[in-house]
Order: sequence, then structure tokens, then C-alpha cells
Amino acid sequence: MSAQVSRAAIISAIIRKDLREYSRERFFVVITVISILIYGIGFWLMPSSVDESFAVGIHQTGMDDIFAAAMGDQGVGIELVQFDTVEALEAALGMGEAEPEQPLAIGLAFPNDFLQRVAAGQETTVRVYVDANVPVEFQRAMESFVREIAFALSGNPLPVADPDREVIVLGEDRVGDQVPFREKIRPLFAVMALVIETFALSALVATEIQARTVTAVLVSPTRVSDFLAAKGILGTGMAFAQAVLLLLIIGSFANQPLILLSAVLLGAVLVTGFGLIAGSAGKDFIETLFYGMAFMIPLMIPPIAVLFPGTAAVWVKILPSYGLVQAVVQSSAYDAGWLDVLPHLGTALGWCVIAFAAGLVILKRKVETL
Amino acid sequence: MSEEAIRVEGVSYAYGDVKAVDDVSFSVAQGEVLGFLGPNGAGKSTTIKLLTGQMRPQSGDISILGMDVAKERDKIQGRIGVCFEEKNLYLNLSAEENLRFFARLFGIRDFDPTPLLQRVGLADRAGDRVKGYSKGMQQRLMVARCLLNNPDILFLDEPTDGLDPVSSQAIRRVIEEEAERGAAILLTTHDMDEADKLSDRVAFINDGSIAALDTPENLKLAHGQRSVRVRTRENGEIRERVVPLDASDTGDQLKAVVGAEGLLTIHTEEATLEAVFITLTGRGLQE
Repeated sequence: MSAQVSRAAIISAIIRKDLREYSRERFFVVITVISILIYGIGFWLMPSSVDESFAVGIHQTGMDDIFAAAMGDQGVGIELVQFDTVEALEAALGMGEAEPEQPLAIGLAFPNDFLQRVAAGQETTVRVYVDANVPVEFQRAMESFVREIAFALSGNPLPVADPDREVIVLGEDRVGDQVPFREKIRPLFAVMALVIETFALSALVATEIQARTVTAVLVSPTRVSDFLAAKGILGTGMAFAQAVLLLLIIGSFANQPLILLSAVLLGAVLVTGFGLIAGSAGKDFIETLFYGMAFMIPLMIPPIAVLFPGTAAVWVKILPSYGLVQAVVQSSAYDAGWLDVLPHLGTALGWCVIAFAAGLVILKRKVETL
Repeated sequence: MSEEAIRVEGVSYAYGDVKAVDDVSFSVAQGEVLGFLGPNGAGKSTTIKLLTGQMRPQSGDISILGMDVAKERDKIQGRIGVCFEEKNLYLNLSAEENLRFFARLFGIRDFDPTPLLQRVGLADRAGDRVKGYSKGMQQRLMVARCLLNNPDILFLDEPTDGLDPVSSQAIRRVIEEEAERGAAILLTTHDMDEADKLSDRVAFINDGSIAALDTPENLKLAHGQRSVRVRTRENGEIRERVVPLDASDTGDQLKAVVGAEGLLTIHTEEATLEAVFITLTGRGLQE
């Protein structure tokens, strides 16, 4: 006959059993280790600073002084690379037969008689080379630059009054101190580490349901609530531990570690909720995988959106991981404090409650109807 | 046999409009084996789910070891053992680890799985992962699992279904030992022979209702037909006829058979539980 057993002992027994099973699922162990290694190594291989200047190839004759003056006015961040011939410039732009080591993205070729023709008021053509990947704003800037050079040479001022300009930078002016790409990618790695655990947990839950082992567990003194608690603790713990390990490897705890830990904990709860839903809903491995993917894709969008400049679209802002990503980016890259990230963490908390509660309810219904 | 371990009174359960268990009443005493016989879908597994607290009856009362199953589920589940029809074991764990895990759920301290594994003939494979076990070995482990808390009541759902003779025999031996120990056993099966050999009483369940409940002997006597099967050679052809033993002219028929030329064999035949089941329900157990 069995002795009286505490709820904590039952929950602990289920968690220990799950950890043992997890450690024997070679696929999840391998994918966890490999992903942490890849993310960690990849992070440290990325440049730690931002090169704010960009090179412009130029071919011109007899206009060194003019260019020096023009660059002095507006050439912040622009590095002019002089070429003696148009052919040499085009080769540097990747238009020749040999592929240059670091091809230039923008080039300007002034005709050799440019000075004379402009001075004589005759028409002439300056060729502007622009790589297809260069934003259109740069192309326009280069065209304006050529026009300005022409005006400077002809001695005619621009046919408009040049207004005074007052540039107001919203937020911290980071000219000369740009956030490097690898800082921006940090939340993406964290979310990916969390998401991998969604698959692991959903697979554990799905196996338990499909093999009906949960039925055997529930005809012992174990209650449904014990089973749910064990799965919730296990999923949150595994996701949290893995994400923290990765963030430690990529040196993320220098700024605002408590905010970061809070965000990761909320993220772990969030993915656990989704893992419970996917594990309960899937009737077989493929269905479980499908549901896992269905949750993973929306979670990945906000950390990817952070990589690009500009404000995120409204629909991105309402995705469950948006608040977490903002909290991580703001605290780790921009030194934001609790007050700054509180709204983001609040939104994330709301999503956590929804996802976790939904996961528990769906799993409960599932095990009760087996 | 002594006091009642299971008492079921007027229990019903329906899945939507389909009545799975319909006003069922019976009891099982300590040390008694009750065979629960019926074809697939007759309501056997639903009854076990109701008795083990996995589902709540929509009407009626179930008392297990004197406790209401709806109110004292935790206490009851600590004193019962359930062997399911499907093999719901943790395949990535070894037999030993499976048993140790469930022992923790039952709060059993310092649990040693070896004696149980020896009892079901799995001690030499105790450390192997269960996914490498044959169907018979997995079933024997299921039986070992349901015994680990030394239960007062055992619910065994088709424990020998589809097994090899060695595994079936091992499980039958365990059932007999447990009954001798004093455990009440509810054995669902559609193996008539097994039920006949192991059960003190059998209940025929059909369409959710109990069609008959008595000892196998009484059921066969009350509803079966005793007969003699006679084979003779007549005009070079072998012929077979059945002489009922309970007919008014049985004596005359037997005299005629014994005195006839060309008599080959005479066999007495007793009623089988399967025949009784068909008589009572109008359907076979394998349907």
C-alpha cells in the first residue's frame, strides 16, 4: 500500500522523469547544443562596431581642390577613392572581368572635359554608378552632389535661397556611436533559443498524450493539476535556462541584467504556453510540428524587424514577442531603465498570461477526455 | 471471500446519445476475481474508467474500499492498481526506471523494483529501454507496474490480449497469486477460456448493460446445453450427430447410438461461456 505523498513530491517526480526522457531524445539534445554553439560563435564573429563611412569611387581630372572643398562641407562619412581611368573605376565597381575583393557600391565618372564644358555653359554628362542594393536615397544624394559640383565650378549659386537647417535627432543622437548589428541581433538569438524549447516541450507533451502514459499517471495519486504544474515548470525552466545560457555566452548581462532576466523569464513562460498548446493539439508528430511552427513564425517577426531601421508596423507591435524584444534591445543596447521598458514588459506579461492560461486549459481538457 | 471491495449501484454513462454504461450494478469481494466479459464497445473499458476515477458517472454510486470514488479519488487511487489495454509505458526509460517513477508517484520510499521484475520474468532485462521490449514483455511490465503499490483492488483490462502463451501464462499466474493474497480483481477480457479458468464469477456486459452475473459453472448450467457428439461411419461416409443430454429421450438416443454399427467416437460436450453469452445476448464475443 502506498504512503501519503505530497503534491511537491509528485510534481518533482514528473519533472525528473521528463528531464531523463528529454536527455534521451538525441534529436532535441543535439539541436539544443548545436544551436547554442552556432548562435554563440556567430555572435562573436559579427563586427562589434559600425563603420559609418562609405566609399565612393570617383574618376575626375583637375578638380581635386573643388572636391576637397565640397567634401569638407558635407562629406561626413564619405570616403572618396580616386581612379585614374573610367575603366579602373568600373573594375572597382565589379563591372570588369575580375571580381574585386571589396567592390564599391557607388561611383562617379566625370568626363575629362567636364571643367571646360561646364565653364563654357555646354551640356555634359556625369555617369553615376549605383549598386542595385544601394538605397534610392543615396542615389539621389549622389545626383545632388554632382549638381552642386557643377554649380560650384560655374560660379553660379543655386537658383534658390539656401535655408538654414536645424536637425533635431529624436532620441539619443548616435552619430559616431551606432549600435552594431550584433547588438541588434541579440534578441533574435534569445527568441530562437526560447522557441527551440517550444518544440522540445510540445514533443514531450504530445508523446505523453499520444502514448497515453498520462492516463497511467492520473490513476496514481497524481492530480491533473500536478501534471499541469510539472509540465509548466519544466517548460519554463528549460526555456529560461537555455536562453540565459546563450545570453551569457554572448555577453548580454553587462547592462541591466535584471531587466534582461525578467524579459527572458516572461519569454520562457510565453513559449511554454505555446508549447503546451502545440503538444496538446497535435494528433501526431507532424501535426505537433505544424502547430509549433505556426506559433514560432509570429514570434520571430519582431526580433527580425528590429534589425531594420525605422519604426515597426502596427501589426508587428501587437505580436506576442514584440514587448520582450523591445525590452531586450532597449536595455542591452541603449541602456534603458525600468521605467523605459516597463510598458514593453507589461505587454509581454499580458501575452504570457493569455498563452500560459490557454496552454493549461487546452492540455487539461485533452488529458481529461482521453 | 469477505467484505466488498467494489460496490457499483445503478451507474450510467453516455457519450452524447450513446449509452456506454446503462444502469449497471454489481459488487466484487476482497480476494474475488470478477470476469467482465463482452465484445468490443460493450462498455467494459468505460466501466473501468468510472471505477478508477478517470471519469465521473452521470448517475449512480460507486464505492471503492468503502469510499465514494467521486469524493475520495486521491485516497482510492493510492490503493488500486490499473493495467490498461494500451501499453502506456515510457519507452525511453528502462523497466526499472518506469517502476521507480510510478513508485515515487505512490509515495513509496526505498522502492526496490527487482522482486517485482523477477515475478514477471523481466529481472534480466531491467536496465534495458522498454522500446526494445517485445509486446509480451511490455505487457508483463504493465502488470508489474500495477502491482507496485501492493493494491487492494486490481483492474486488469485485457491483460493477455494478443500475447504469446508464455507471457499469457505468466500473467495468469500473477492474477491467481494476487487473488490468493486477498486483492479484489476486475478482469475484463473477451477470452472465454481465460475468464472461465480465472474468474470466481463472470459478468456478461452487452450494450452497456449486465446481461448475466454468476459463477461460470452456474451460468453454464443455467443457460448452456450438455450434449454428446457421436461420429459414425455409414455406407463409407463419416457422419456426425449431437445428442442433447437434457432431452426426455436422451437415454433411448444414446442406446441406439452405442448399439449401432460403424461407431467411431463418442465425446461428451459441456456448454462454453461463449455459447452461454450468445444464448443470452444474441451476439458473439469476437464481434
